[in-house]
Amino acid sequence: MWKYILKRVLLSAMILFFVALIIYGIMRCIPTSFVENMARQKSSLPGGKTYTEWLAQLNAIYKMDTDIFTGFFSWLGNAFRGEFGDSWHFNVPVMTKFREVIWDSFWLAAISLYLRVIIAIPLGVLSAKKQYSKTDYAVTVFALIGISLPTFFFATILKLVFSVNLGWLDLYGKVGRMYQMLSPSGQFWDVVKHYIMPVITLTIISVGDLMRYTRTNMLEVLNADFIRTARAKGLPERTVINKHAFRNTLIPIVTLLGGTLPSLFGGALITETLFQIPGIGYTSYQAMVGGDIPFTMFYMLFIAVLTLLGTLIADILYAVVDPRVRIS
Amino acid sequence: MDEKKTYSQAPDATPIALDDARRVKVLSPGMLVFKRFMRNKLAIAGSIIILLMFLFAFPGGWFSPYSESQVFRAYYPQLSDYAAVTINEEYRYTPAPGQQFDNAARAKMILAISGGETAFESAGANFGLVREGEDFYRITGLQTVASGRGIRNRFDLKAAPGITLPEGFQAAFDETIASGAQSFTLAGMAYTVRASKVEAVVSAVADVALASKLVFEMEGGNADSFAFRLAAQRAAQAAGQDPAPFEAAGQRYTARRDGDVVRFYAGQPDEDGALLGVASHFVLKAAIPGAAFSPAFRVAAQNAVAENLTAFVMPGEDDGKDREYVVERKDKQYTIRREEMTYLVSTYESPSWAHPLGTDGNGMDMLVRLMYGGRVSLMIGFVVVIIETLFGVVLGGVAGYFGKWVDNLVMRVVDVFNCIPQYPIYIIMGAIMDAEKVVPIVRIYLLMIAMGVLGWPAIARMVRGQILSLREQEFMTATEATGLSVKRRIFRHLVPNVIPQLIVIATMSLGSVILIEAVLSFLGLGVKFPMASWGSIINAVSNIYVMTNYLFVWIPAGMLILLTVLGFNFIGDGLRDAFDPKMKR
Repeated sequence: MWKYILKRVLLSAMILFFVALIIYGIMRCIPTSFVENMARQKSSLPGGKTYTEWLAQLNAIYKMDTDIFTGFFSWLGNAFRGEFGDSWHFNVPVMTKFREVIWDSFWLAAISLYLRVIIAIPLGVLSAKKQYSKTDYAVTVFALIGISLPTFFFATILKLVFSVNLGWLDLYGKVGRMYQMLSPSGQFWDVVKHYIMPVITLTIISVGDLMRYTRTNMLEVLNADFIRTARAKGLPERTVINKHAFRNTLIPIVTLLGGTLPSLFGGALITETLFQIPGIGYTSYQAMVGGDIPFTMFYMLFIAVLTLLGTLIADILYAVVDPRVRIS
Repeated sequence: MDEKKTYSQAPDATPIALDDARRVKVLSPGMLVFKRFMRNKLAIAGSIIILLMFLFAFPGGWFSPYSESQVFRAYYPQLSDYAAVTINEEYRYTPAPGQQFDNAARAKMILAISGGETAFESAGANFGLVREGEDFYRITGLQTVASGRGIRNRFDLKAAPGITLPEGFQAAFDETIASGAQSFTLAGMAYTVRASKVEAVVSAVADVALASKLVFEMEGGNADSFAFRLAAQRAAQAAGQDPAPFEAAGQRYTARRDGDVVRFYAGQPDEDGALLGVASHFVLKAAIPGAAFSPAFRVAAQNAVAENLTAFVMPGEDDGKDREYVVERKDKQYTIRREEMTYLVSTYESPSWAHPLGTDGNGMDMLVRLMYGGRVSLMIGFVVVIIETLFGVVLGGVAGYFGKWVDNLVMRVVDVFNCIPQYPIYIIMGAIMDAEKVVPIVRIYLLMIAMGVLGWPAIARMVRGQILSLREQEFMTATEATGLSVKRRIFRHLVPNVIPQLIVIATMSLGSVILIEAVLSFLGLGVKFPMASWGSIINAVSNIYVMTNYLFVWIPAGMLILLTVLGFNFIGDGLRDAFDPKMKR
C-alpha cells in the first residue's frame, strides 16, 4: 500500500515537473512586444512600479535573459520558495493577493459541492432504480440540460429574473453598497445573499455530471449477481437498494468526489467572473485579461498542482476503498 | 441472411431446413444499434434538434435575403436643431435717404445714450438724439441746404446739391440777416444761419438715422426705407390691444401687437390686409442652411421664447400638419428643435416581419447573424473534435497496442496535458491576440488549433483503455498469426472496434467544445466582429441596458447554444446506450 502511494507521488512529482516546464515555455513564447506593452501600461497605474522596475523584476524571477533551461530551474526554485514576484495588475505580491482571495473561492465551491452531492446522488440512484421510467427521463433531461447550459446564459437569466425583475439580489459583487454600515451578522447575511446566484449557477451546471455518474454506476451494480442473490434471498427491495447496491455504488463516487476536493481551491473562473465574486477565479481572470504575467503564471501552476493532487487523491482513495486495485 | 437462403434453396433440401417462418430473425450489429437508438426518445429528439440546427445554420444562410454583415439603416424621427433665437442686444440703424451714419458716430451715439445726453458730436458734425421710445432713437443732424458769398449783409444763396429750396427762402433769409437772428422758420422747417462777413451757410435740422433694437423681418419694396421704419416703429410703440394704423410713403398700414411681436398688415385696421412681416426683439436664424420661416412661425417662435415656453405646436410649413417644436434655452441662446426624419442605423430594432428577431447593436439582422454564427460555432466544434480525435486515436492506439514503455510515455504525456489549465491558456491567447490585433478569421483558426491540441488526452485515454482489453482477444492473435503488418493490425482491426466508443465521446465533446467556444466568445476573447458566433452574439448582455430591455438580442442565441449542446448530448447518451446493451435490465 505505502509502496503504491509512494510510486504515485513520485510519478506526480515528475508530471508536475514537465507541466511546469510547459507552462514556463508558454511564458517564454509570449511575444516580447506584448510583455513590454503591458509593463508600460501597468507602470502608469497608480502605485505601480516603473517600466524598467517591472521588467527587471520579471527578469529576476523568470530569468528571461538566460537560456530556457537555466531560466526554468531558477524559476522553479523561486516557485518552491513561494516567490512569484509582484502582480502587475494588483500591485501587491502575488502570494498576498492569493491569500486574500482564496477563501471566497473555497466557500463558493464547497457550498456548491455540498449541494451538488445532496441533489445528484439521490436523484441518480432514483433514476437508476426506475430505469426508462418517466422519472428516469426527467432526471436525465434535467442532468443533460445542466451539462449543456452555457454558464453565462444561465447566469444572465438568473440575473434578469432575480436582480432586474424581482429586485431581490444584487447583480454583481460579494458585498452590497451598505456593507460597511451593517452589523457583523448583517454583514454575514449580506455576503450570503450575494452568494446565492453564483452558488445556484455553479450547482446547476455541474450537478448533471455527478448525477449521470451515479446513475451509470448504480445501474452497473444493480446488474451484478450479488443483487440478484440478495433479491433471491427475499430481502425487501429497500434493503437491496440502500444497503447492498448503494454502498457499492459509493466506491467510485467517493473516489470521484475525493478527486474533486483540491479543485475546491481552484476557483470557478467563469462563474466568479460573471458575478464578480472576488475569488481566485475572478482575480486571475482580471490578471489574465490585463496581461499580468506574474499572477497568470502563478495561477496556471497552481491549477496544475491542484489537478495533479486531485488525480493523486482519487488514485489513492481508489486503492483504499477497493482492495483489488492494490495488488497491481 | 443470404447465406441461409442459399441453404434452403439447395436441391437436396430436407424438411428440417429452415424456411422463412421457422428461421430466427437475426439483425446485423449495426441494425441492432440503430434499432436501439431509434427506440430512445431523447436520442431521436437530439437528432432532430441537430438536424434542424444544421438546416438553420448552413442552408439558412443561403436562403436568407440578407448577407452576414449587412447593416440596416432607416429613417427615424430625431430631434434636430431647426432654428436658433437670440435676444437682440444691438442697435440696428436705418439711415435716412442721402445720409451717412458711420461707425464712429454710432459709437458716440451709444455713449450719449448711456450718458443720458441729447446731443453728441462726431468728426466735426453735430447730432441730436431724440428718444422716441424704449431703445428707439431718432438721430438728427444739421444739413447744409444753401450757402453763398456776399458783402455787407447781402448774400447770394445757392442751394446745396439735391435740395430744392422752398419759395420765399431768400426773403426769409434776408430778413433774418437783417434782424441779426441766427435761425428762421419757413414752411414748418427750422433753419440755422451762420454768417460771416463774406460767407453765409444755411443749415436745416434733418433726420440722419434711426437706431432701434427692434428687429424687422419683412419682405417688400419699401420695408427698409427710413420713412416706413419711422412710421412703423412709432406705430409699434402705439400698438397695444388695438391695432394702430399708420401711413408711410403714401401707403396705409396697420400694426398689431401680438405678445412681444408686432405684426404689420397692409391697409387699414378694418380691412383684411395681408401680413407683411413682423418686428420683435429676437433674432431668428435657421439652423438648416437655406431654410426660410413664415411670418406665422416667427410670431409663434418668438412668443414662445418671450413667454419661456418649452414647446409649441405649429402647422408645418411644407405639409400643414401640426408639428411640435421644442424650445431649449442655454444662457441667452434659444434653440428650437423639431423631430426630423433622420437616416440612422437601426440598432436594437424590435422584431418585425422584415427582421423576425430584430436587429443587433450594429444594425444587423439578428436571425441572419444567428445563422452565420451557427456556422462558425458548429464549424469550430467539428474541426476541433476532428483534431482531437486524430491525435487521440493515433497516440491512444499506439500506447494501447505497444504497451510497455511506449504506453508509459504516452500516458505520462496525457497526464501532463491533462494538468495544463485550459481556460487560462485560451484567455491569455485571446489577450495576446487582442494586443497584436490578429485578423478575426486567423483568430478562429488559432483558437481551433489550441482547443484541438489541448483536448485530445481524454480521447487518447479512452482509446488506449479499449485497445488494451481488445488486444488480448483471440481475433488479435489471429491477425498476428496471419502476419499482418502492425499498422494494419492497429488501424484496420483494433481501431474499428473502438469506433462505437469513439463516436460517443466525439459527440459529447462536440457539445463541450461548442460550450467552451461560446464562453470564450462571450468573454470577448474568441470570435470577433465582424465574424459572429453564438457566444459573441450573447456578448451584448454585458451591457445591462441590453440585457433588461432587448431580450430578443440574447435569448435566441442562448437557446440555440443550449439546444445544440443538449442535442449532441442526447445523441451521445442514446448512442452509448445503444452500443452498450449491458446497461439494460
